[in-house]
Amino acid sequence: MNNHFLEIKDLAVEYTSDGSIIHAVNGVSINLDAGETLGLVGETGAGKTTIAKSILRILPDRSAKVQGGEVWLDGQELLGIPEKEMLKIRGNKISMIFQDPMTALNPVMTVGGQITEAISLHEDMKLNEAKKKACEMLEMVGIPAERYSEYPHQFSGGMKQRVVIAMALACNPELLLADEPTSALDVTVQAQVMEMMGRLKEKYNMAMILITHDLGVVAESCDKVAIIYAGKIVEYGDKEEVFRHPAHPYTKGLFGSLPSMNSDKPRLSPIPGLPPDPSDLPDGCAFGPRCPQVCDKCRKGSIPLKELSKQHACRCMLN
Amino acid sequence: MSALLKVEHLKKYFNVPMGINHAVDDISFEIQKGETMGVVGESGCGKSTLGRTIIRLQDPTAGKIYLNGEDITEAKGKDLRRVRENMQIIFQDPYSSLNPRMTVEEAVQEPLYLSKRFKKKEILEETERLMDLCGVEERLRMAYPHELDGGRRQRVGIARALALSPEFIMCDEPVSALDVSIQAQVLNLLMDLQDQLKLTYIFVTHDLSVVRHISNHICVMYLGQLVEVSPSQELFKNPMHPYTKALLSAVPSVDLDHPMKRIVLKGEITSPINPKPGCRFASRCPYATEACEQPQELKQVDNDHFVSCCRLKEIG
Repeated sequence: MNNHFLEIKDLAVEYTSDGSIIHAVNGVSINLDAGETLGLVGETGAGKTTIAKSILRILPDRSAKVQGGEVWLDGQELLGIPEKEMLKIRGNKISMIFQDPMTALNPVMTVGGQITEAISLHEDMKLNEAKKKACEMLEMVGIPAERYSEYPHQFSGGMKQRVVIAMALACNPELLLADEPTSALDVTVQAQVMEMMGRLKEKYNMAMILITHDLGVVAESCDKVAIIYAGKIVEYGDKEEVFRHPAHPYTKGLFGSLPSMNSDKPRLSPIPGLPPDPSDLPDGCAFGPRCPQVCDKCRKGSIPLKELSKQHACRCMLN
Repeated sequence: MSALLKVEHLKKYFNVPMGINHAVDDISFEIQKGETMGVVGESGCGKSTLGRTIIRLQDPTAGKIYLNGEDITEAKGKDLRRVRENMQIIFQDPYSSLNPRMTVEEAVQEPLYLSKRFKKKEILEETERLMDLCGVEERLRMAYPHELDGGRRQRVGIARALALSPEFIMCDEPVSALDVSIQAQVLNLLMDLQDQLKLTYIFVTHDLSVVRHISNHICVMYLGQLVEVSPSQELFKNPMHPYTKALLSAVPSVDLDHPMKRIVLKGEITSPINPKPGCRFASRCPYATEACEQPQELKQVDNDHFVSCCRLKEIG
């Protein structure tokens, strides 16, 4: 009955810190088909990375707890399976690209060795074959295979990120979680990396969740977009729909905050105030205290995600 | 109209084990009072070094810096202190630029105390005025930096920079560490302050949409040199240098109707250590020829628009 390649249902994650409970993710549901890219957009602390980490089950054991929800990948529920099973999926069927390429690589291991390690863990290959595959992966991301035995510090930021991408793609994953893959890079290098990722995604027909705070990156490389605020999806839908007809005041606020490259705005219209404290979320709409159109209805109970059209949903009382 | 700040053939070299790092290499420009000069470029192009050298946090290797017509290149001791009261800096990372053991109030007061120009009562009044001016709430007087979010910390940083009423402020990526919604608040604050206090800014950033929004003029930097200088609108309408073109085309746009034609460059920024005499962009430039191995100079192509490229005519 699961028709989508990836289905996340009502995912909720909490962190405990100093005795207080932080509601990082509060009932997030996402569907994704093979070959599709979903952009997950939100500000620092909105819960974007936590969502990705709970799919991979790499949240810190001691402080984080998945409170509820299901993650179905290709007909298999991931949150309930034993860790041993998960090991086979992690890095194989699902891979993740982390935000900071400088810390995602092991500094005392050659870059080639790191890719080879990932391959030999998951594929039944002789060391020689795995090495050959690793060289192919390096070439594919535009790094000459001669640099196999160099260490991460000998690479520039953009090249390190390519190594991380090569490693993530080494086992032909079906789902790629990319957590701000280009935020640490310069724009011209970002353009190179995004172009390369787009090409590879098409080649392998991967599904991808792209976590970013940059709406421009979403506009250029995603099919769907989910806007996250305080651990909840506030707007969800087709990229075209959301960008052309943003419905949630928060989404509108994000667009208003962006300086434009093409037209002149004498002043930006920022969103007033700050994101709420995730250990003390307000009743009703979490965006309420910053919303210009807030009314009494917004202050009570939970606000449902309403469908505006087949490809567009929004969590707001105004619609 | 006389320029508030003028820089002539400014150079800043660093000795590194591999040779000499030409971080800032022969840069000249001037800024009129009340205007904003944006400096854009990628990491490692020397834009922060340029800013720090101008406000004399580092001594230049060669060249001259004039503030209000006065040569401040060699200013020392008392003179330098006086000059510094007139030019301040706002740092990129509000998490590391504030002393974690000073309260907000102490941080804002520090420059006032150090100037020795104010009485105790005046200092208290001034602190209140500055906090109010920069939108730092009164209740945060006794708060420590770790209790504040990034946007508020940056406001404290701005209040501190404004304490001695400088005419010139060097903004070194002041909004890069902030989320978009907060970034917009701080940008608006900086622009309001400029209007009210007739401030002059150098705005160093790698974010092109931010620089377009805030600047009157823009310098595009590549490996220590200026490749293009132009009024802001003109630069975005009619970029001429191949690097500027590629840089502008690389910015992801939220505009679905006018997708930009992207120029994807080969390779990455090369090293500024012992550079060859020719155009430093040549190794990545799609139009490079042998002529580019000759030293390039910034030439005027239009009113106020300067470009450093010998193949302009051919590229069109």
